[in-house]
Amino acid sequence: MTDAAVTMEFHPQPGAGTPRPWSFPTPERSTLASGLTVLRCHRPGQQVVAVEISLGIPLDAEPEGLDGIASLMANGLSQGTAGYSAEEFAAELERSGATLHTWADYLGVRVSLEVPVSRLRKALGLVAEALRSPTFADSEIDRLVRNRIDGIRLELANPGRRAAKQLAHELFPAAARLSRPRRGTEETVARIDAAGVRAFYQARVRPANATAVIVGDLTGVDLDAVLAGTLGSWTGGPAGPVPDPPPGADDTGRVVIVDRPGAVQTQLLIGRIGPDRHDPVWPALQLGIYCLGGTLTSRLDRVLREEKGYTYGVQAFPQVMRSPAPDGAAAAPGASVLVISGSVDTASTGPALADTWSVLRTLAAGGLTDPERDQAVQNLVGVAPLRYERASSVADTLADQVEEHLPDDYQAQLYARLASTSTEAATAAAVAAFPASSLVTILVGDAAQIREPVQALGIGAVTVTTG
Amino acid sequence: MPVDHTGTQYSVSSHPTATEHRLANGLRLVLSEDHLTPVVAVCLWYDVGSRYETTGHTGLAHLFEHLMFQGSAQVSGNGHFELVQGAGGSLNGTTSFERTNYFETMPAHQLELALWLEADRMGSLLAALDQESLDNQRDVVKNERRQRYDNVPYGTAFERMMALAYPEGHPYHHTPIGSMADLDAVTLDDARAFFRANYAPNNAVLAIVGDIDPEQARQWTEKYFGSIPRYDGKVPPPDGSLPDIIGTELRLEIEEEVPARALMAGYRMPPDGTRECDAADVALTVLGQGESSRLYNRLVRRDQTATSADFGLLRLVGAPSLGWLNVKASGGTELAQIEAAVDEELARLGAEAPSAAELDRAQALLEREWLDRLGTVAGRADELCRYAVLFGDPQLAFTAADRLLSISAEEVRAVAAARLRPDNRAVLAYEPVTLPGQEAGQDGAAGQAAPPGRDESQDGAGQ
Repeated sequence: MTDAAVTMEFHPQPGAGTPRPWSFPTPERSTLASGLTVLRCHRPGQQVVAVEISLGIPLDAEPEGLDGIASLMANGLSQGTAGYSAEEFAAELERSGATLHTWADYLGVRVSLEVPVSRLRKALGLVAEALRSPTFADSEIDRLVRNRIDGIRLELANPGRRAAKQLAHELFPAAARLSRPRRGTEETVARIDAAGVRAFYQARVRPANATAVIVGDLTGVDLDAVLAGTLGSWTGGPAGPVPDPPPGADDTGRVVIVDRPGAVQTQLLIGRIGPDRHDPVWPALQLGIYCLGGTLTSRLDRVLREEKGYTYGVQAFPQVMRSPAPDGAAAAPGASVLVISGSVDTASTGPALADTWSVLRTLAAGGLTDPERDQAVQNLVGVAPLRYERASSVADTLADQVEEHLPDDYQAQLYARLASTSTEAATAAAVAAFPASSLVTILVGDAAQIREPVQALGIGAVTVTTG
Repeated sequence: MPVDHTGTQYSVSSHPTATEHRLANGLRLVLSEDHLTPVVAVCLWYDVGSRYETTGHTGLAHLFEHLMFQGSAQVSGNGHFELVQGAGGSLNGTTSFERTNYFETMPAHQLELALWLEADRMGSLLAALDQESLDNQRDVVKNERRQRYDNVPYGTAFERMMALAYPEGHPYHHTPIGSMADLDAVTLDDARAFFRANYAPNNAVLAIVGDIDPEQARQWTEKYFGSIPRYDGKVPPPDGSLPDIIGTELRLEIEEEVPARALMAGYRMPPDGTRECDAADVALTVLGQGESSRLYNRLVRRDQTATSADFGLLRLVGAPSLGWLNVKASGGTELAQIEAAVDEELARLGAEAPSAAELDRAQALLEREWLDRLGTVAGRADELCRYAVLFGDPQLAFTAADRLLSISAEEVRAVAAARLRPDNRAVLAYEPVTLPGQEAGQDGAAGQAAPPGRDESQDGAGQ
């Protein structure tokens, strides 16, 4: 075969050189007079400093019937302050080369700033102003409410988002905040007004409940002086306790089809409840889930993508939803949602699900292999210096740890724990994570085409919903 | 240089530099040292993209990019992914109009493995390429198309925009993802011919950036790539030149199942590599980047007729660039109202130069973008390749931000006056087939149209 004619000189696959040691950085922890906790971390060469401020406000703090108020409050922080109009505030930040994002998730409200170090003081001053003296003008909040309602409609049209909403609704009881969208529904958002946002801010946004994580090249920066002149001016006593009801969960095996007549693909979201990262099983769970669906050479994509071509890619991953302090007074342990997610062409929906279940059953019957486990460890541990090259990824991980009530050295320790996790432990964790008999399957797709083939699989009762 | 610009006091970490080398077979090599973190980026740009595809063969460059991950003489089926990820690296490839790139970011001590892998497929892909791989990856790419374009609201907007703004038969008339029919028609012989014509060392630039010993990196490059034969039959890219101005407004009214009305407009802009293109970048940033741009302030904050308003620049070298305006209407707002306001704002910028504060803001945003782009080894490697392949000089990557900062307010006004005119645009006007307002709430972030980014089509681990 002349096509295969190769004229290059071949060499054997080279081995690795000597690794240079790398470890996840340890932050320095301190507390300002206002009660604000500060985690700082010097990263040489990172000229863009990342500041993550975790406000310590889980969504359970939202008043009854006002789902989405935390998110609107977070967005409203930058829409006008005592010293700046909304337009001026945005322009001042942007003139500093800064980007600011604010959002609310189940675990907390976050303010996230990135700015060149030469403009750190200026930008932190603006952020302090937003935290200390937001105006939440009626006109701005009304605008955010209307935009949010438009945004909800946009999101609903996205099959992935629609599936996530349905899965939360199926897994958690209606009374649990976790069962409902982070940023509210049209109904709840429509009830929100500026007075409500101001009251929520007054009750909840306090430095004593917040942590600021600051990461970057801090050479020549007197950070204490910068903080004193900026975030240090934000004061106020601690907020009251946030209710912490145990969420409960129902992961009885079943299938819910969200009907999208004419859809060319079916969005799959297969999920179940898992533990939070305090659970000693976490490293094994992370390894096992990687082997199942972490990359395109993992078990699921090896079949669904690389053998069958049903999909552009299917992933399995955990998402922590609730993570109380282990020594706290919480009535229930933490929770994550463990999912398998992807989309397949409509005609392949039944076969792709059949193969997914077959992969899960094969895993349960035969377990993972040592080479699979080794490959997963080498990737998850080895990739750390790449993953944390930028200051923002370090800051984000540190802030996640704060919100999940994990120790500051959690990520650093996790690498050692991953490396010492056995194949057997990873197998057990993956099998327990995705038991073939009790998974909740959400399918966003054309019910008329996919219902029958899915019913025939026997993976649970099938219901169809719309919207 | 603008007075009192806020961003000029910082620069890319430790003023990076790069050296250039050329192997006897024509492979260009760019090396840039950075010892801050023990990582290294290997980036390989091939001077081929969807603009080389002819009628009936759309999508071939991108489908071929997938085939590059299906093994070569010494690398098994998924071996490329397995070896890189098993070494603690990450990897991917992407295809755009003007290039196809492949990259590995590795722990520094695994550099040699990445070079061996890239050389093996450059020199011996055809030893492994077979019908089974082609058929499988054809299905994967068709599902990529469904997932990223066909099954999301506004997902085909970019494809429709290019088809409208660049005339029939023009090399940029179609996007890299290609059509389903053309993907179905690709044969093994097409793929083989495509490889022979384009995947040669003298049609590529290799950049190695990070914690390296440059002399060692150069020797390894010579060792692994040096024996791969050059190919001298490469045809020049098709002519993509067009008049500066379209001359009439092109318009497509689209009735589709989308959640909101949307106004998208593509303006014909100067090609990349010109001072006017940089001026256009600044102009579009003044108008539609960030949350205090003119259009954001006007449409989202004051008129409250839109939920978002973005104006970005798709830089193209072999054809006019495209200024891409994307406005999502708020509530029941009619597009005519939005369009009138847009026209007013664009005309205003053409009539009167932006204020010093506005210019300052736009340039600070653009400089920050470059700081981010050059702030990782992978980003730096990609930019070095880009300037080497498209402009013949990798060093231009390090001065790109300076060029943007040197643009004057008058240059911004001039390009706006010359280009941002109704007779120089292609418009997509989206009208929902069912009016919004009858559906329940939803979670998460907003659905998005395909952005006019340079990485139009990507293959990857699906993260």
